[in-house]
Amino acid sequence: MCSDDRIALLMERAKLVQAEVSRIPGLDAAFDYVIERMRERNYTTLAAPNVDPTDALHLADRCRSAGIEWIASPLRNRLRDIQAAFSMADGAIAETGTLIQVSDDEDVRIATMLSELHIACITSTQIYPDVFSIADRLRDRLATGPGYLSWITGPSRTADIERVLAIGVHGPLELHILILEEARS
Amino acid sequence: MIQTPQDLASYHVQIQRALNNPFLRAALGNFASAYKISRQKAFAGMDLDRKRTELALAKDEALKHLPELFERFKQQAQAKGTHVHLAYTAADACRIVSEIARDHGIRHIIKSKSMTAEEIHLNDRLEADGFQVTETDLGEWIIQLRHEGPSHMVMPAIHLSRQQVGTLFSEVTGQKLDLEDIGRMVKVARKELREAFLTAGMGISGANVAIAETGTIGMLTNEGNGRLTTTLPGVHVAVVGLEKLVPDIDTALRIVEILPKNATGQLITSYVTWITGQTDCSANPDGKKIHHVVFLDNGRQRLAKDPVFSQALRCIRCGACANVCPVYSKVGGHTLGHVYIGAIGLILTYFYHGTDNTRAIVRNCLNCQACKSVCPVNIDLPYLIKQVYRRVLDDDRERPLKNRLVSTLMKNRTLFHSALRAAAAAQKPLVDTSRGVIRHLPYALLKPEHDFRAIPALAETPFRKLWPSLRYRLKHPIRRVALFAGCAVDFVSPEQALALVKLAISFNVQIDFPQGQTCCGLPAAMMAEEETAIDVALQNIDALDAEHVDDVLTLCASCASHLKEGYPRMLRGKVSPERVDALHRKIIDFSSFMVDVLRVDADAFEKNGKRTAYHAPCHLCRGLGVTEAPRKLIDLSANIYVPCPEEDVCCGFGGSYSIEFPEISAAILNQKLNHVQQAGVDVLVTDCPGCVMQLRGGMLKRDRPVPVRHIAELVAERLKRSKKSS
Repeated sequence: MCSDDRIALLMERAKLVQAEVSRIPGLDAAFDYVIERMRERNYTTLAAPNVDPTDALHLADRCRSAGIEWIASPLRNRLRDIQAAFSMADGAIAETGTLIQVSDDEDVRIATMLSELHIACITSTQIYPDVFSIADRLRDRLATGPGYLSWITGPSRTADIERVLAIGVHGPLELHILILEEARS
Repeated sequence: MIQTPQDLASYHVQIQRALNNPFLRAALGNFASAYKISRQKAFAGMDLDRKRTELALAKDEALKHLPELFERFKQQAQAKGTHVHLAYTAADACRIVSEIARDHGIRHIIKSKSMTAEEIHLNDRLEADGFQVTETDLGEWIIQLRHEGPSHMVMPAIHLSRQQVGTLFSEVTGQKLDLEDIGRMVKVARKELREAFLTAGMGISGANVAIAETGTIGMLTNEGNGRLTTTLPGVHVAVVGLEKLVPDIDTALRIVEILPKNATGQLITSYVTWITGQTDCSANPDGKKIHHVVFLDNGRQRLAKDPVFSQALRCIRCGACANVCPVYSKVGGHTLGHVYIGAIGLILTYFYHGTDNTRAIVRNCLNCQACKSVCPVNIDLPYLIKQVYRRVLDDDRERPLKNRLVSTLMKNRTLFHSALRAAAAAQKPLVDTSRGVIRHLPYALLKPEHDFRAIPALAETPFRKLWPSLRYRLKHPIRRVALFAGCAVDFVSPEQALALVKLAISFNVQIDFPQGQTCCGLPAAMMAEEETAIDVALQNIDALDAEHVDDVLTLCASCASHLKEGYPRMLRGKVSPERVDALHRKIIDFSSFMVDVLRVDADAFEKNGKRTAYHAPCHLCRGLGVTEAPRKLIDLSANIYVPCPEEDVCCGFGGSYSIEFPEISAAILNQKLNHVQQAGVDVLVTDCPGCVMQLRGGMLKRDRPVPVRHIAELVAERLKRSKKSS
């Protein structure tokens, strides 16, 4: 499966589980996307715990000028306040429309679970065809030490009342996936 | 508190209550049809049979090495800061968890969904010890608030309506809720439970897999509560059944691949979480999570060594065996299980919750094989259910009268057959000869609830007495066939065999009817009378002498499936493998014989046949895997096959099942007959005389009944005259 096919399959499968997927030229555009989606929803707080420090400074600036509060780590002090989260994910599985999120850092888990809107960024080179194609990578990661790894497919959901699908139970109400066309600088 | 009936009388009361609940019937009925479609879609393009076999083998291999896998997991996880425990009993496990909570000064505990915690009634113990426990899975929270057990392993509150849930939430939160608005109810739960997540000191989760090579637990969840339960509180305790241990990532991935598809038709759950060792947690002074994994034995290591039952431990808790069970879809999980529900529940209840809780529910199986056909790890669920029933009878040192009667009669062919002849004579004053049914119910034998279908009369002359005058000899037959009639054809519906004989002569097939044959033994096996079942099997092996014919043909799907699959298992070591194997290879059903062996041609039949509905007998479509031949044969014989919904769902007969549970049998039958009547057909056919009895008996109680025939009769009546005389 070539890279374009993987991207197409990922987009198709992620949309089937109510995720929003967009291709985006670079991090700057991703930041625009975040600010715009937050503005549309009147969200005023953002946590982005695993963005590279230099990029984070840049994003925090953008937030300031947009009137959005940047929630800094440790997030445990602000558990009730996180409306939106932006995260760098560590890859994706095309066949199931799944994000791979290394979540060893507690703040990554807090941001991506307690927020109502989760926007995650992956690069187009990190898309794998199916779960079996990452078996060795997974083995290496799980073997090396304490760790918390999450595969995230769409926003949280339930069908526990009359099997009626309801999106957004305990986790985010929305999941947006941004596929960066170029590798991160 | 879960209260499961411990005797049949109180069980029938509970069953009637469930059948009287129209919401439950509608909800589970819709679920049953929707599930099949979404499951099929999820597995589209996959070689599911291969995947199932591979996963079953991998689980079997793991089950052989549980002690080693536990040691390896323990060594790996402990090296990464996890405390690993092995609890031998349910009480041990509860004590361990309670002590962890006490040692860390915990007051409030949150839980994400765990069937293992349900198994050991962990909440009861923790609450008795003074802890506040909050379930955070929406369905689990609902049933916790109602003080109930789960009615499904994946959807614990599927038995409740939105109005019931809305009323419950209104009471709990003190705010008035729109009883139709499910989205709003979910929001209320989010808000209420969010508070619990933020304040609890300890989180308890289950695990879907425990990977020995890395000391990792894997969890599949949809709501996100699993990820929150294991992240926010300072202490995380995972309660894990020992059988969840797998050696490696590869086996874990196989489970991740299959479980969500088979459970809910999802390609994958919203969250798959892999936790290894002591992760970061700033709630604690050292910034590290306090992490415990409590493995539960509770009889699992002994079960893993059991030659018959070890396969039950392959179960990955997908719940599919309930989803497709016709009984489940009528009565729901609270009436078909204890903690574990559905087919696997009938089995596991015996091992985890004892004989008393198993006694009544274990009888509630039609042996329709639907569960077996969807099990992702190929557990022979119907067989194990019968084996559990046998153990319950042994534990109770009980053999019901019907068991003793059937055994005595069946073992002695002459006695059995003369008893049937005597019954045929005795019933005479009761028979309505125009319809071939009993006019009045003999109330001494049957109760009013058995009146949902007309009872067929025994034939005046059984097939075995007709045969000597029918016997024929062809000069150059294309096949030589031994006919296995089976009791229903022989003593109730010999006209089905007469139709077959007529067809055989036309198509130049030499039939022999070995007189030494007797009941196939399935009824005895169904009553867990294995010794009798073996006894008659040996008689039939001798009589049929399969090595010296081309085919062993039968009109009864149940007999065929039992001869083909049941005999090799029962007769292992009791008769030469060649003889059993010959029968196994040569047994064939009527439709496959006509279509695949004789390759009958449409030219042989008169045109303009009937609009025909088809009922697929359980033992044909699942037992023998024959699905295309009968439908093809309907069209080939110039009739028009009219598809109906749920053709492959059991008719509710199940032999003695319909006597023991007439109220459920009737409910299942009525749904089937509704589908057929709505299809506007001239005739309903099937390839099993037992199904014919059930379907025809039910139809005769209705307005404008659709005639019910064996497919052999339908085909024989369309044979061209020229063909008939040739």
